[in-house]
Amino acid sequence: MRVTVELFGIPRQRAGVPETEVEGSTLGDVLLELSQRFPALGEACLSGRCLKSGYIANLGGDQFVADPDIRMRDGDSILLLSLDAGG
Amino acid sequence: MGGSGLGVALLLAEGTAAANPLSEEAALAFVFSPLVGSPLTTSAKFAVVSKSPLTQRINDSLASSGFALEGKKTGFDAIVLVGQARRLSLVVIDDQQVRIEDASDLAGMSNSSCQSELRKRLGKKFQLATIGPAGENQVHFATISHNGRHAGRGGSGAVLGAKRLKAIAVRGSQVVTWYNPTGLTSFAKQLSDKSFGPATAKYRELGTATNLLMFNRLNVLPTRNFQQGSFAGVNSISPEELKITRDRVRSSCAACTIGCEHLYSLKGTDDTVRLEYETLFALGPMCGIDDAESILQAAKKCDEVGIDTISAGGTIGFAMECAERGFLDAPWLRFGDGQALARAIDMLVCSQGIGRLLAKGSRQMALEIGRNSIDFAPQVKGLEMPGYDPRGLQMMGLGMAVNSRGADHNRSGAYEADFSSAVDRRNVGPESVHLAIESEDKAALMDSLILCKFLRGVFVDFWQESAEILHLVTGLDVTATELRETAKRIVNAKKRFNIRAGWSPAEDRLPTRMLAQSLPEDPRSSLSPDRLQSLIRAYNLARGWTEDGWLLSREGQV
Repeated sequence: MRVTVELFGIPRQRAGVPETEVEGSTLGDVLLELSQRFPALGEACLSGRCLKSGYIANLGGDQFVADPDIRMRDGDSILLLSLDAGG
Repeated sequence: MGGSGLGVALLLAEGTAAANPLSEEAALAFVFSPLVGSPLTTSAKFAVVSKSPLTQRINDSLASSGFALEGKKTGFDAIVLVGQARRLSLVVIDDQQVRIEDASDLAGMSNSSCQSELRKRLGKKFQLATIGPAGENQVHFATISHNGRHAGRGGSGAVLGAKRLKAIAVRGSQVVTWYNPTGLTSFAKQLSDKSFGPATAKYRELGTATNLLMFNRLNVLPTRNFQQGSFAGVNSISPEELKITRDRVRSSCAACTIGCEHLYSLKGTDDTVRLEYETLFALGPMCGIDDAESILQAAKKCDEVGIDTISAGGTIGFAMECAERGFLDAPWLRFGDGQALARAIDMLVCSQGIGRLLAKGSRQMALEIGRNSIDFAPQVKGLEMPGYDPRGLQMMGLGMAVNSRGADHNRSGAYEADFSSAVDRRNVGPESVHLAIESEDKAALMDSLILCKFLRGVFVDFWQESAEILHLVTGLDVTATELRETAKRIVNAKKRFNIRAGWSPAEDRLPTRMLAQSLPEDPRSSLSPDRLQSLIRAYNLARGWTEDGWLLSREGQV
């Protein structure tokens, strides 16, 4: 499945790009692919197929997700962001 | 305990909840806390507690740094001010000696000028809390400032101004001691180490302003007085863009290892200004402004004259819509016009022209304008809403509706649930109200210990670790369960104050616009009056109150 990943905050800082496309059948696959492509992002925000504490993913601007086994569909959009708001 | 909780207790003891907050008899308390002066990161904070002239309800606002550290060393845990000086004055607390000095020569001075002048007069050891001209003129959302940081929300600066007090100066020589210094030092080091971790990285690297792009993407960024949830000009004012185009320095409160403050340069000067998400949203998208320089200059102006940026942006954004609709005779006041924003700030500080209306905040302004403009005044209980659209962040909508201080993101952090897989943020149900309660209780305890909320992500078990902290500092043997009960008592005490001040269940609501219209970019972001009411009922019952929100005690029913 081809998935668009939109990056915000620290994930964007570490990846150096606001958006990228990756292949993956599950959220965990997508995160693993991101780690390999952007090692600094992987080190700061990801732990293998999972998100580190302090980060969360959102599916298409709708549902916040963290389960690495969530299935991806072709054309899905994943937002990767820092967890806390405030300010 | 200290901070907000102790402040509310002191105000209840004063027995003036029903008084006009700008009257002579009204009380205002500066309150320190058990943790001030300890090696715990982010603990150098103080609370200012009074009845708010903006909401006519309880108000507690927090600020940080040297004033807290030096104030604690005077040996006082709190300073309660009642009465009124004959002329503009200054309260000097020098250890246990208290005196009142004439401050007529400081009239009209900005916060930074006033603090600079007083440092010359009193010496650098004194730490100062001041009001700007807005406080002197009793603008209902005037702040109290210390070294560029502000007890910002709810208008405590106007309360001080009504007492004709331009400043409080503190100097102390007492030594703060702890029950278990070795254990505390070890705990503090561990907490500091954790505060460098991923949970606070965003605050260090980009600051809170980094919320802007994320909120915009999720269509919950209040734009043009909550008429939209996203803003076309968002990229040009984002911190990601600003850090490329402007000089930026990082700073922190005293005794803080996070360092969330990001100061941006202003064009044509050597000056800088702090920029938080709330300031950015309120003076930017809320007023339709996509010019970074206009926003930064307006933020600087608010800091210097001493007004809350959220209420300033909220009130002016509301006025812009009123002008657009022809409800207000101010054709120059248009969304997107940075010069109009600056002019409106100037006018409200001295109550000139429409500034007389603006200075009272959006609720009072709407009541004077009429024409059902109250339906789109962006406030709850009179406090202007922070940068979270409750239609797309409904747990936060509940938090804003029920909170004692009014629409607020610091006393309720219910948005944490919205930004998680725990709820569907567009369709929150009564089964989830415990998440709003947990957030509110945590905030009540953090504001009373006092610790910065940006630490909340570094605790594994917040209640247990807070009990441990309190034991190490004071020797009190307190359990996590007891601290949870303490937090609930603080929330109840605020409610009790509000009931005595005239609260009624009808106040716990959101503006009609939020309940009648979905977000245009996202029709699924819709919150009906019935659903909000069902959330409020569930919240009240889960709190142990009546369905309508009254305390069960006889006292609370008064």
